[in-house]
Amino acid sequence: MSTMTVPEGSLIIPDIIETRNNSTLNPQPSPLPAGHSVSPDYNLTPQTMCPAFGSLRVLTRIDGVQTAMVTDTGCLYGLTFVTHFYASRKSIAAPAFGTKELVAGNVAEAAIAACVEASKMPGTKLIAAISLCVAETAGLTEEMLPAQVNGIDVILVRVPAYAIHSHPEAKDVAINAILKKYAPAKMEVTADGVEKPLTYDGSNEEEEALRRKVIMLGEVFPADPISVDAVLKRLGSGLAATLPSRNLDDYKLARRVGAIAAVHPFYGGSVATLRAAGVPIISGAPVGPEAAYNWIKAIAAALKLDASVAEQVAAEERDKCRAIIGQFPLKGRVLVCGYEGNELLYARLLVEAGAEVPYISTSIQKSLYTAADEAWLKARGTKEIVYQKTLEQDVRALDTYKPDLVLGTTPLSAEAKARGIPAMYYTNMLSVRPLFLSAGLAGTIQLIRDALERAPRYEWMREFFDGPRLAEPAPAQVNTMD
Amino acid sequence: MTDLNDLPNPVPAGGKKHAPIELIRDLESTSGYWAAVWTMCTMPDVHLICDAPIGCFNLVATAVPDYTDAIPHIHNITPSVMREQEVTMLGTAGAVRKAVEALRRLHPDKTIIVVSTAESEMISSDHRDWLSKMDPPVPFFWSQSLEGDEWEGRDRALVWLWRNFGIENARLKIEKPQDGLSQFSILNSQFVNVIGPTYGCFNSPSDLHEVKRLIEGAGGKVNLVYPIEATLKDTPRLAESAVNVVMYREFGEALAKELGKPYLFAPIGIRETTEFIQKLGDLLGTREQAEAFIAHEKKTTLAPLWDLWRGPQGDWFATTEFAVVAGRTYTEGLVRLLADELGMKLQFASGRPRQPGEMNNIQIREALHKKQPAFMFGSLNEKIYLTEAQAKATHFIPAAFPGAVVRRSLGTPFMGYSGVVYIVQEMVNRYYDLVFNFLPFDNVAAAGQLREVTNPLTAASRLVWSEAARAQLDRQLEGIPWISRISASRELRAQVEVYAVKHNLREVTPEVVERALAG
Repeated sequence: MSTMTVPEGSLIIPDIIETRNNSTLNPQPSPLPAGHSVSPDYNLTPQTMCPAFGSLRVLTRIDGVQTAMVTDTGCLYGLTFVTHFYASRKSIAAPAFGTKELVAGNVAEAAIAACVEASKMPGTKLIAAISLCVAETAGLTEEMLPAQVNGIDVILVRVPAYAIHSHPEAKDVAINAILKKYAPAKMEVTADGVEKPLTYDGSNEEEEALRRKVIMLGEVFPADPISVDAVLKRLGSGLAATLPSRNLDDYKLARRVGAIAAVHPFYGGSVATLRAAGVPIISGAPVGPEAAYNWIKAIAAALKLDASVAEQVAAEERDKCRAIIGQFPLKGRVLVCGYEGNELLYARLLVEAGAEVPYISTSIQKSLYTAADEAWLKARGTKEIVYQKTLEQDVRALDTYKPDLVLGTTPLSAEAKARGIPAMYYTNMLSVRPLFLSAGLAGTIQLIRDALERAPRYEWMREFFDGPRLAEPAPAQVNTMD
Repeated sequence: MTDLNDLPNPVPAGGKKHAPIELIRDLESTSGYWAAVWTMCTMPDVHLICDAPIGCFNLVATAVPDYTDAIPHIHNITPSVMREQEVTMLGTAGAVRKAVEALRRLHPDKTIIVVSTAESEMISSDHRDWLSKMDPPVPFFWSQSLEGDEWEGRDRALVWLWRNFGIENARLKIEKPQDGLSQFSILNSQFVNVIGPTYGCFNSPSDLHEVKRLIEGAGGKVNLVYPIEATLKDTPRLAESAVNVVMYREFGEALAKELGKPYLFAPIGIRETTEFIQKLGDLLGTREQAEAFIAHEKKTTLAPLWDLWRGPQGDWFATTEFAVVAGRTYTEGLVRLLADELGMKLQFASGRPRQPGEMNNIQIREALHKKQPAFMFGSLNEKIYLTEAQAKATHFIPAAFPGAVVRRSLGTPFMGYSGVVYIVQEMVNRYYDLVFNFLPFDNVAAAGQLREVTNPLTAASRLVWSEAARAQLDRQLEGIPWISRISASRELRAQVEVYAVKHNLREVTPEVVERALAG
């Protein structure tokens, strides 16, 4: 790992000092043959949903937000499909946008027409014009759109898949676009002539109470904010909101709270916007005993809360996590290969619960916000962490690490199951369970334990369809519609 | 605030007014690129390279077929992975070449085909020339994704496959090959091809299973099912059959025409199925066997329809409304079966690709918000519109993509005699549910054991609205602009139902509506 500098300003990474020492003093020698995961010929298939989906997931779930998608029919069909499956049951407006419209050069008219259609829905508070690959290439820009249509605010969310490389990172684009509209930085000049961000609008009780609270930035299972809020209340704080939220008003609070807890590592744009507005940012998430302990203390430090209370609450939470792990320890080798951007958090939890996690891969890019978890994991036996991964890298990891369980994308999980290895689709199975603090531990660990115990079924099913095992596992290159 | 009275047709800066922008809601048909992938990737000896950003690849190869065709992913497709630098500066030739070279090493036994996408067409990435100069040449398919829809896309892809991989190698060319396509001799006068299912064809495994059964019943032998059960190397074998059966009106006919043999469309409904078997018998010279098959089918496969028709269930048909939004084959087939043959009332039908005069999704949405049929055959879009209208009394029956629905079992056909019985059975069972939900029962939950309070609206869900009462409510709503009608209808309805529950009424009649809304 390259040397990292502690960032300026208000970023606090709970265990940054410790992990930096670990990683620089004890560099992990790579046990793998050189070039194992970087053979360019065989890294053909990046793993992510269409990046734009991340933005649609965030935007279509907000009450009162209507989307107008500007794109070609294939793109529109696919994104509408996944939105209707994974995000919301909202009807989606779009202009017809093909050669005819491109030749006529009326991309802006097309976008505006769709915004007008979207504005007809009663109760609409915000219209998000979504500019996708084809519209971006045709040159749709913010200046071409009116600030309002029929009295309703319009924002342009630019998510061409060719420029944003993963769907988690496109969630950041959407949230950031809303934050820039509703929680822009306000500056004030202090008595000694220094310009600094104004983080609250006035000194009143409501405002002061808000400044003791935290907004969690990261899409989590609905039970997680409840347990986080309970712990924060013991510190004398509380959770003001969780973003992405279904309530547009929650975004307007972001500039006014005491701290933002960015629990997922891919919200760089939103974090930058909020930091510029003067809000302290805490990265990392309360996952597993150690991280939970550090996170609670970091929150207390950022909000200048009573340190001794924080120490007590943090230690209690850590001990509760340890007790649960003691009761249900994990045993086995697990590959964590999702594309949701929060894979490092899950991997930490599994490692602390006793599992061996030699290989982790994700769709997002490596950043300052992945550094702490990466260092922590590499200090505890993780051999490879691959960012912006490809299917080919993940499949090679199956050969290299011979896992007992794979938490993967659908193609990887299918490949693992074809080899008789227990596997599940990371996105569907892990995102529907709580994860944070002691309350989130048990369910996730139980899920993994159960999966590991199901191994004989996976082998039986493989043998039934594929016959007795050969010396080399046969590649799963079959036409499954046959 | 911008004045937008002129929208959606604003006058652009140049002063010349553009053609009106056509608006879409919840697009129902995808593009030529998707059609090409879903057609060509069914054949295991093909490997496609799509000249695409990662999103176009993931949606067509994984995200959607996961939930429609119920396959984990389409394995024989690789993206060129267009990034910003390819779009703005480099072009995609380098990325495509890299993929071709790697895949040739990985799959030396496969035919690699490069397919364009909307975005590659947008930046004019036509690779035909240089790909044709590779050794061996790499075929390039321009998918026309900025123009056509998935139906013409499949049509074009099938014809292109035949012209590039079939016609030259067709084994059975006779004396005058230069005279073209109608000159192939017949290898076997009993052979029948099925031109039809690709990935992304709703319910095709069941329908194909039934069509094969009908072909064999009529005296034919199924030769090639193209492309879903074929390899690319099989393509010349399309010339071997005496007759082609085209599964769908939406696509496939163009290939059948090029093959130059008689062709029939796969049938839906009692009469069309009977005619199909008879005509196939005539074409194959097996009319007698075909008639015997029909007679036997009436006593076996189709017997449940005769029983249901004569039984109490048959009486329901004439009093029940339905609507269809689906592919052209299903739309026309369901209208034939349900309206023409069984006598059900058709509220509306709209096929895909749409013909002039058929409703688009904006109009369908409006129609469903105003009035809901008892049965809605459609896609997820219609299901969403029914949800928006809180239409709990409508039975939604999946009949088209888009929408997540597994249809891989062989037991859910819409086509043929089996299809007639399956559709009618589905509807009758939903009637039974309706009857069940109408009957009184002991409410243990509401009796205080499980829940403390009886919610009047829960009780209201057991109320039955007479047609006249519904009409009365509709009249009340007529004055309200359609877009506000959903919420207005919900409110008025709730008002009526709370009144009815309070007065211990089980049925909502026009009088009840009047009294409830007056009070």
